[in-house]
Amino acid sequence: MKKLWQNNRSLIIALIIFLGAFAAITQSMEAKVWASILLSGITLASLYFLVASGLSLIFGLMDVLNFAHGSIFVLGAYVGLSTYANPRLLFNTLPFFLSLGAGITLARSFGVPFWRWKRTQNKPQWFFWGLIAVSLVLITFSLRDFPIRAINAFGVTAVGGIVSTAEAQEPMGTMLFRTALLFISGLPFGTALAPREVHQEGSRKSPVRVLLITLILLILGLAILLLRDPGEEFMLGLSVDLRFVLALVLGSLAGALLGAAVEIVLIRPFYGNPVTQLVLTLGLLIALTDVIEGVWGEEGHPPMTPPSLFTEPCRSESLFSWFGEKCRSIDVLGRAFPSYRVFIIFLGILVFSAVGVLLRRSRIGMIIRAGVQDSEMVQVLGINVRRVFTLVFALGSGLAALGGVIAAPFLGVYPAMGGIFQLQAFIAVVIGGMGSYPGAAVGTLILGIARAFGDHFVASGIELPFLETTLRGSPALAKASTVLIMAIVLLVKPAGIFGKKE
Amino acid sequence: MNNLLVIENIHTYIEQFHILEGVSLKVPQGSIVVLLGRNGAGKTTTLKSILGLRPPRQGKVIFEDREIQGMQPHLIAQLGIGYVPEHRAIFRNLTVEENLKIAERQKHDLDKRSDFIFNVFPDLKRLIKLPAGNLSGGQQQMLAIARALVPENSLLLIDEPSEGLAPVLIEEVMDAVRQLSARTTILLVEQNFSMASQLAERYFIIESGRSVKNGLMPDLIDDQETINAYLGAA
Repeated sequence: MKKLWQNNRSLIIALIIFLGAFAAITQSMEAKVWASILLSGITLASLYFLVASGLSLIFGLMDVLNFAHGSIFVLGAYVGLSTYANPRLLFNTLPFFLSLGAGITLARSFGVPFWRWKRTQNKPQWFFWGLIAVSLVLITFSLRDFPIRAINAFGVTAVGGIVSTAEAQEPMGTMLFRTALLFISGLPFGTALAPREVHQEGSRKSPVRVLLITLILLILGLAILLLRDPGEEFMLGLSVDLRFVLALVLGSLAGALLGAAVEIVLIRPFYGNPVTQLVLTLGLLIALTDVIEGVWGEEGHPPMTPPSLFTEPCRSESLFSWFGEKCRSIDVLGRAFPSYRVFIIFLGILVFSAVGVLLRRSRIGMIIRAGVQDSEMVQVLGINVRRVFTLVFALGSGLAALGGVIAAPFLGVYPAMGGIFQLQAFIAVVIGGMGSYPGAAVGTLILGIARAFGDHFVASGIELPFLETTLRGSPALAKASTVLIMAIVLLVKPAGIFGKKE
Repeated sequence: MNNLLVIENIHTYIEQFHILEGVSLKVPQGSIVVLLGRNGAGKTTTLKSILGLRPPRQGKVIFEDREIQGMQPHLIAQLGIGYVPEHRAIFRNLTVEENLKIAERQKHDLDKRSDFIFNVFPDLKRLIKLPAGNLSGGQQQMLAIARALVPENSLLLIDEPSEGLAPVLIEEVMDAVRQLSARTTILLVEQNFSMASQLAERYFIIESGRSVKNGLMPDLIDDQETINAYLGAA
């Protein structure tokens, strides 16, 4: 008990002050008011957490500060929105990715003899960049004049429903040509990524397996392409709820795959060189934002309609009755609270526990926790730490993208939304302690709640018992409140709440 | 030939600094070999070069008749090389049990070897559920060694096991190392000359990143001149 006090003195004092301030603020309010502010805060925290947890894990394990994490959040939001509202985009672009991936997979394995031959010559690095350049030129050529904006166009009606307005779809022949060309563009890229040294060749997959994977990817791509019309009809025929679930899955999958690709291509060659990695993720942030603006437009979309689970125009008495009634809002101490936000909170808690269990109970989680402390030592135990790095990058990016999908019906979708979440998640991670998973949860919770009360403070002000007039903050104060909290926490605990001094 | 590990004239750089400028050594199967030298001579870097953490730019590392320089560290470890790092680098956030479990290369490695491990380190059995960060320095060192015993390793690289330990504990670590040597070959880095001289059969001395002298341990004990020249006051 005494030890607990000594080790966490500053933390306990801060907690008491925080609770005291909370009590002082809330005692002048009605219970239903502060309860709903609190819930709004937790909703926000839930979204922040999905971004912050990945950021923290990636930093903890790999010492990579991923500036592009927020844009993966945005990408998730857009992929989710497209799946939900206009699946035509999926059917017209997925085959491209699949055939490009097939080409890369194939060449990565069968490109080894190329390097065996090149090894005898000078400057292999030039050939590496040369192959990448050839591949990029081919990719650009195969995607030339692809009417992405037209395919992607959809409008929102006055009542909030979404109508697909896209008519311009390319003829099948052109699409097949593009797909084939993309497969070929993948070949030089894969060759560039093939193992270059003799001793790395041992870890290669068997050629049969590689051929099989390549074939599966190609056939899958082709099938999606050939079935694009009935497929689209089928998807639009699904119920809104099912489409929403599909959006959640595809959105996070897109984020995870992008995360894995980013780790392999951009981050992996530069471990031990953190500045390069930092600059690369910054560059990726800019590039990704541009790609997103290019594909989906700069103007953004208003919040999409939540699935019908959350839209019945009524108010459920409690969470339990909501399961039957599927009302738009739920009664909290006499005040209506949107049920979709309850869903966000629920999903946040679910992800927090699931990843927590993964970290605590599984072997891979054990390796991650050990790697956060000393990844070199994990490696010399015979564990392929690089693969774990890729996995964590994919996991973190997938979670951020999931956050984006569920944020879409709540906040809307626009290209710049990632920046705010990136910043808030970063502050939360610093507050909680870099690399600490529970720290990320606590940090986001503090930020979300502080933000919600800050906004209320600005909008309605608070009545303090010892003041005659209502105290009201300026909007700038609400924005600054999170940074202020970070400053205070860092003064008290320089390594963050759960951070350990090394 | 019954050298388990042979290092031939390796050169290792850390960034642009030339740390090892020609280190050679041989570790015969079944023996304890000690690597001696002053602070900063390059002893730890030599171990890291073997492990692939600091791959040598020149020279060869031959393990079981196979060149392993330049291989990825996890593949080198999988050949059967265990590492006990200096500063008792155990995973402090993991429990004792997890520290052992994470070293498994095949399922049930720990179950298979736990009798032997807890026989050498009876303390660990009692502490199995504790976070490793809560252990005392001596216990952490025991855990670091035990971790290297979980998988089937034919060679152990042990870096300064006596560092910062009380004399009683040094005795205990020495006992443990002796018990292990019945099973595996050991390459030991040690500053504590009395410990090194009692354990090892052969020695290699490096000075400023170069191999300078090697031979049988009993010869070195009487060779005060060499000791003074390369190891300082011992």
